[in-house]
Formats: sequence, structure tokens, C-alpha cells
Amino acid sequence: MLAPRYIPLVLKQVARHRMRTILTLLGVAVAMFLFVAVQALQHAVTDATAATGREVTLVVYRENRFCPFTSRLPESYTPRITRIPGVVSVVPLKIVVNNCGASLDTVTFRGVPRDNAAALTNAFTLLSGSLEDWNSRGDAALVGEALAARRGVSVGQSLSAAGISAYVAGIIRSSEPQDQNVAYVDLGFLQRATTRGGDGIVTQFNVLVDDPKNLERVAHAIDAEFRTDQEPTDTRPEKAFVARAAADLVLIVGFTRYLGWAALLAVLALVGNAIVLSVQDRIKEHAVLQTLGFRSGLIARLIITEGLALCLAGGLLGVAAAFALLHFGRFSLSVEGTNLNVTADPAVIALGLAVAAAVGIIAGLVPAFQASRREIAASFRAV
Amino acid sequence: MALIECRSLSRTYRRGPETITPLDSLDLDVESGDFLALMGPSGSGKTTLLNLIAGIDRPTAGSLHIGGVDVGSLSRARLADWRSGAVGYIFQLYNLVPVLTAYENVELPLLLQRLSSRQRHERVAAALSLVGIADRADHYPRQLSGGQEQRVAIARAIVADPAIIVADEPTGDLDKASAAAIMDLLKRLNQEVGKTLIMVTHDPGCAEHAARTLHLDKGRLVEHALTH
Repeated sequence: MLAPRYIPLVLKQVARHRMRTILTLLGVAVAMFLFVAVQALQHAVTDATAATGREVTLVVYRENRFCPFTSRLPESYTPRITRIPGVVSVVPLKIVVNNCGASLDTVTFRGVPRDNAAALTNAFTLLSGSLEDWNSRGDAALVGEALAARRGVSVGQSLSAAGISAYVAGIIRSSEPQDQNVAYVDLGFLQRATTRGGDGIVTQFNVLVDDPKNLERVAHAIDAEFRTDQEPTDTRPEKAFVARAAADLVLIVGFTRYLGWAALLAVLALVGNAIVLSVQDRIKEHAVLQTLGFRSGLIARLIITEGLALCLAGGLLGVAAAFALLHFGRFSLSVEGTNLNVTADPAVIALGLAVAAAVGIIAGLVPAFQASRREIAASFRAV
Repeated sequence: MALIECRSLSRTYRRGPETITPLDSLDLDVESGDFLALMGPSGSGKTTLLNLIAGIDRPTAGSLHIGGVDVGSLSRARLADWRSGAVGYIFQLYNLVPVLTAYENVELPLLLQRLSSRQRHERVAAALSLVGIADRADHYPRQLSGGQEQRVAIARAIVADPAIIVADEPTGDLDKASAAAIMDLLKRLNQEVGKTLIMVTHDPGCAEHAARTLHLDKGRLVEHALTH
């Protein structure tokens, strides 16, 4: 630890070596921006796919189908699923997306029966608009706040995508990533609005189970029920379903973690290089400080604190830029109707700053050790 | 008992296979309040002796007692603590920290002491006034002349009130007028403030300001002259 009275000395060194500081800060900021953006992607994947053991929702999909365009199940499966022991409720869903591939701006329409709206509304908060409007208008939609912000629509306006035009009856907020980027509309409206599928056909069933422990058993029972039907099913817990549907995306996002680590290595090399050069330039200056009575350990701590200050300042810049971009950009990675919400989570921000600080300290260690071991008289002779 | 006692003081270096002995079994006493000039050709051991007395180098043989402290036996950290209170060093090339103002340079030694910022301010202001450079307190070294830089360096050397001031060719980089002014200042520090001064110089004119002059050659004392 460095006594507070030495901190201004470090800050003057940082502030008054202006060009070195600006270049180092920019490098650190860019790398930390990349690191935080990658971490936000990783966090989005974990948030959408990692099971917590408390899930009670199953998704019933058409077997061997992975896209909402090709998963077509008869709505008439609803009562048969409802009869399976452990099932609390069944919501048939028609899903229409404007882009089945991976995209940062996918609009997902989810058609649900109006009589299931009560179960639906328990899962989110209505930010603006009214449920009455949604119930009374055939083309009404409840739009996730992330989608509404991205598309710039508000209550009373029209949301158009995938050949469907819906009236925005309300804006909703949900803790579930899937709900933040969808527009909920009446199932009948969506069935009529699409050329494929039509009446009586849905994309999937969302099944609420009475106990998380029963999730696997109920899933097997559902698939067994329809095994010999014309449209057999594949039933999975919701997060496992998302993980499978977005498997390609998860793989790509997984790969980006190496970019994150590479960014950290770049910061380490950059700040390490800046400090090594700075220490080499200041061999005599450090010898003078030691002549004045500064202990070698104190010189080492001054150097480490300088690295810490550079990295923290650059890290703050990079993290702030990443936060601003993710917060105001409201990015949602979507693939085959599933959404990964890329947000600047406080944990990611804190991790970014902590990592920046740690890298700053590590980068300063070797030059600090070298500077502290130099003999004073030899330092004066060397320059 | 003398303030500085050197007994059979030696310093050797290894440079590749060669052993160099810039200081060889030197005996010397310096009383408190003395003003000593060290003269001699290059490589005679003047700066080595100065560095040993300043505690920035260590003897390889013999003993060095300053103010009753066996300086050669102190650990690296204890030696640093001792330096901060006992010795002020004036360099030929001033060695001010370029990114700090004159005021901040002079304040550096006081950061090592437990003083409030107000106490530090008072002592820095007093030191800058004493050397006649108070009006340049906010200037950076690059904005000062050589003579002004050396005044700031002298203020930095005396601000912690050490008993001993060592100066390594303090006028070596200055014009005649500035050199004379610096020598007057050093003499005042010795005569009016009572500092013990040890100065390395090649200039006999500067040495005349000292109370006595030692001549070294090949690491040994060859002549001991009283100037006054």
C-alpha cells in the first residue's frame, strides 16, 4: 500500500507525461472495451442458457426441427399435454421471426391465446399502455422494452416486421431475456397473418410443471405421448431449449472469450511496455529519489501505483464506452427465434474494472522490482 | 569525537576481470561545521568518497562513522532512512525531477517525514526563500536557468535540515557569475546556518571558499591544506 501523501506524486507523473499517458490510456481503453463487450456476450449466453435448478418451464418443439418456420405442431395437442401428470398449464405459441438466422435486430412475434394472457402477464411488468387494449384489439401487441427501444416504437404506434403489422398496446419489462425482445400478439391473429401454418398450427408449447424435480419426467412423458403421431415432439427445459436452438451462436460466443483474453494480454503488454520504458527513462530520477531517502520498496510501490493508475483510468474509459454502447444500443443476439440479450450487467462492469486494476499491478511488478534493486551510485554512473 | 570518521576506508569495484580501487585505506575526520573541499584528478576517488559519506554507496573495507552511526553496517532500508534526515546531496547537473515544479521538487524529501501539508508548505517556502528563488516556486526545471536550477537543488538538499551537505561539483555546469553566486550561498549555509559542507570541485577558485582542501590521487590523500 502507498501512503496517501505519495498519491499526488504518482498522479503528477501520470498527468505530466501527457503523450505517453494519452497513448497508453487509449490502448488500455480499446482493449478493455473489447474485454467488457466479450464478457457481456458471455454473460448473455450464461443468462439465457445456464440452468439454475429452479426452472419449471418446458418447451415442446417439433422433433428434428430447429427453426420457427419449420416447427409446425397441431394446436390440438394442448389438451393431451394438459392431461399429463405434473403439468400445471400449457400455452400454445406461434412464433414468427423476420430473420431465422443469427441477427442483432430480429423481431420475434409470439402468438398466444387470449385466455392464456393471465399466465403471461404474471411474468412481466407493464411499463406503459394497457392490457385492456391488448384484449380488445385483434392486432394488438405487447412489446418487450428492448425491442421497443431498438425499433423506436411506443404505445399507439405500429410495429411492422416479417410482413406483419401490429398495434403497440403496451410495453413490457421482464427479467427473462426471451421476453425483452418479443412482441406478444393474439395467437389467432398471428395464425391468420402468416402464409405458412395457418389456423390450428403452432410453433411450440410452453408447459408449466408443478415442481422442478418433475421437469425431466414430464418432458419424457410428453415426447412419449406423441412418438407415434404424425408430428412427434422434442421437449426440453426452456434454457436447454435455448441452448440447443442457439447452439451455433453459443459456440461463436464461446470462441470470443479468447478475444477477451487476448485483449487482456494486449493491455498487459502495452502497460508493461509503457512502464518499462518509463522506468528506463527515469533510472537517474529514481536514483535521486533514493538519494533523498526514498526506500527501494517505496520506489517499487510508486511504479506499481503508476501502472495501476494508468490501467484503472484506461479501464474506466473502456468500460464506460462499452457500457454506453450496450446500454443505449440495446443489442439482442437472435437466432432461430431465441434471443440472447446483450446488456452491460453491473457484474460485468465490476469485473472489467477489477481486471484492469489487476493487470495494472501485474504490469508494474517486474519493472518495479528491477528499479528497486538498482544500486544508487551505479545508477548515476549508468546514465 | 568528529562528526565524520573514516578509518582505512576503501571501495573496490569489479569491472570484468579487473578490480578497480577508487578509494584506498583513507583516514579522515570531519568536524561538525567544517567546510571541506575535495580536489584531485578524474578517477582520484573524490566522488566515491562523497558517495560513501552521503550513504549512497557502501565501503568494501574499513569503517565510516557519521554522527556516531556506523553507516557501513546499516541495512538498505535503514540507510535510506538515515540519508533522509542526515545528508543533503547537491549534484553537478542539479537532477531535479523534470515533471515537478521547483516547489514540488523541494517538497520531495519532506514527503518522507510525518508532516502536515501546511508544515511542509512552511518549510518549502522557507528553503526557497533562503536560496533566493521563492518567486520561481511554480516554475518547472525547463523554465529555469542553470543557476536557478542549482538553487532549487540546494533548497531541496537543505529542506529536511540535515547536518551534512555534500556537493559534487556544484558549479561545474554554471557560468562564472552563477558559480560565484552558488558558492556564496554554500558559504552562507556553512557560516550562518552551521551546515557541515563537503564539496568536490575541480575549480581552485571554488575550493578557496572552503575552510580546508583535501587533495586525492589514486584513492589516497596526498595533500591536506587549510584555506583559511
